[in-house]
Amino acid sequence: MESLTLLLQIFVGAAIINNFVLHYFVGICPFLGVSRRVDMAFGMGCAVTFVISIAALLSWTFTFYLLRPDAPLPTWLWQRLGGDPSVRIDLSVLSYIMYIFVIASSVQFVEMYVRKFAPKLHKSFGVFLPLITTNCAILFACLIILRNLQDPAQLWGPAEALTLALGGGVGFTLAICLMAGIREELELCDVPRPLRGAGITLIIAGILAMAVMGFAGVDQNLQDAIDAFLN
Amino acid sequence: MTRKTKILGYLQQAWLVLVLACAYGGALAGVQISLSPRIAENRRQETYRIIPQLVPGAEQEQTVELSISDRHGNPARVYQTRDAEGQPNGWVVPAKGPGFADDIGLLIGLDPPLNKITGMYVLDQRETPGLGDFIRDADFQRQFRGKAADTPIEAVKADPGEQQITVLSGATVSSSSVCEIVNTALANLREPLLQEWARASAGADPRDEAEAAW
Amino acid sequence: MANGPTASERFLNGILPENPVYRQLLGMCPVLAVTAAMLPALTMAAATAFVLISANGIISLIRGQLRPHLRILVFTLTIATFVTIADRFLAAYLYEMSKVLGPYVPLIIVNCLIISRCEICASKQSVRVAVADAVGMSLGFTLALTSIATVREILGSGSWLGIRVLPEAWPNWGIMVLPPGAFLVLGLLLAAVEWWGQWRAQRMDYAVAPAMRGQQAQATGEGMEEANSWKA
Repeated sequence: MESLTLLLQIFVGAAIINNFVLHYFVGICPFLGVSRRVDMAFGMGCAVTFVISIAALLSWTFTFYLLRPDAPLPTWLWQRLGGDPSVRIDLSVLSYIMYIFVIASSVQFVEMYVRKFAPKLHKSFGVFLPLITTNCAILFACLIILRNLQDPAQLWGPAEALTLALGGGVGFTLAICLMAGIREELELCDVPRPLRGAGITLIIAGILAMAVMGFAGVDQNLQDAIDAFLN
Repeated sequence: MTRKTKILGYLQQAWLVLVLACAYGGALAGVQISLSPRIAENRRQETYRIIPQLVPGAEQEQTVELSISDRHGNPARVYQTRDAEGQPNGWVVPAKGPGFADDIGLLIGLDPPLNKITGMYVLDQRETPGLGDFIRDADFQRQFRGKAADTPIEAVKADPGEQQITVLSGATVSSSSVCEIVNTALANLREPLLQEWARASAGADPRDEAEAAW
Repeated sequence: MANGPTASERFLNGILPENPVYRQLLGMCPVLAVTAAMLPALTMAAATAFVLISANGIISLIRGQLRPHLRILVFTLTIATFVTIADRFLAAYLYEMSKVLGPYVPLIIVNCLIISRCEICASKQSVRVAVADAVGMSLGFTLALTSIATVREILGSGSWLGIRVLPEAWPNWGIMVLPPGAFLVLGLLLAAVEWWGQWRAQRMDYAVAPAMRGQQAQATGEGMEEANSWKA
């Protein structure tokens, strides 16, 4: 039960309270670029959620077995090769390079898959798919997973990593769809000329970020409520 | 096309990537070897420089890091502090838990038999600036000094009692989070630490064991 | 672009006319995330400049050997390596600052600014031009980061670079150092830059012959188009 509560906390935290876009500012480029129409925004959100989940699982696997300090695979290899067993193997210096390649290959895979099985979807946001590679949100999720694999006292498992990725993806979709909905309405408004485009979008994002701040602390109360319910 | 020319073709295409990968790998290895001792020392200092404030009379140099298991069998890290003569004179326990905005990281100082809290320090926090981040203030942290370590601590708005601390209005969640983290850490580590202390008083020096294990 | 601008033109271009943040909307994550105070903003700008200049230099050196279909791979590899080096250096020599910046240092890898400069400029120009371009863009990026950080730190904490500039009685605008403040300040500054550009264009209408105006629009338009294809 405790682990389920932790998962719920991670999910709510990534999706709403510490929303990837509105709190951590990752994935701002598509948030500004692809938020003109709700259907496009939703497609983009789904693509990001999908890619982020795959990338998170892969990067968790690589980090856990290969890159974290005292990771099992390199340690085994080192000792097999007759290295000094007291030397601690730490390959984390390679993690950034590893992650960016994991992300690039997942994007490639998703692009091929979508082109083959959902050509209509591919047509609507095909341009954006290759550019997901430079979407900070995905690398950011990998980095949080790395941070939570460095402390041996609180080691994340694949379930936590996947939950974080899903939460982050859902949070991104939520933010970009909200923004697209508002911008569709905005088409009919008389916005001062200098503010048109990015300016007004950022100011709306500021107001959305303020709204999201109102959720801070919810995870604690959620935990208290679950505890109270269980006892 | 024979196999050999195929491989040669690949090499012709990819030699630049391979050469670059080797060069960058070498550069990264150099950076890692030359800088990692410094980074590790920075991480260590972050905790160690606080230790004399948390346990009166503790010497930074003498402190021993121990790996133990908490009540639930999860691995945990604690520091056994020592005075100038090398006698154990307290504990420093790192603790982490959810705050209002993000995780809060704390260091808790304790006397050897776990009767009293001798100090508390906030290592990491991202609470709301101007409200929740007052948990960094020395005045707030000083309130924990001298509290009993075996009963949970509460945060109240005014007139603090024996096991209570006062919070700033508008930052109730941040302060109760800190109390909650302290309470959880103490509850989880109480038994293992007492066992460790009993062993230390019986004469076994955990430092020797740590060295032997190393 | 047959002849392309010279090194000094590219250098100046990056600072204001094609400012990466205000004109091209590139690299927005760090612009919003680390500008609550001046010091992290400056550190971030320095780290980005280091990566941008080194990556542009190296890519330009090897541009003759680049295979078209492997070029993005080479760019990414180069950028990720230099970001790792920058990250380690910060952790070793500016530990406190590297903790404040946290994940935003590794996120330089996916800063669209760097990869777009590699693609547009470094892979086609000589080392001198590429480095001049990178330095100009870095200065433009630094200018953007520091302008936002100045507004946010002065209004939010009453200080600048950690030095108190407003009287103690100033009620710190907490919202400025929080996420919404970042969005609001950047939005308003963007609008201000836009407004200034429109005002200048209007004045140009009266002052400059129409033929020249068309030429200028074409010159800036080309660069912008290329940059725009990298957004998102």
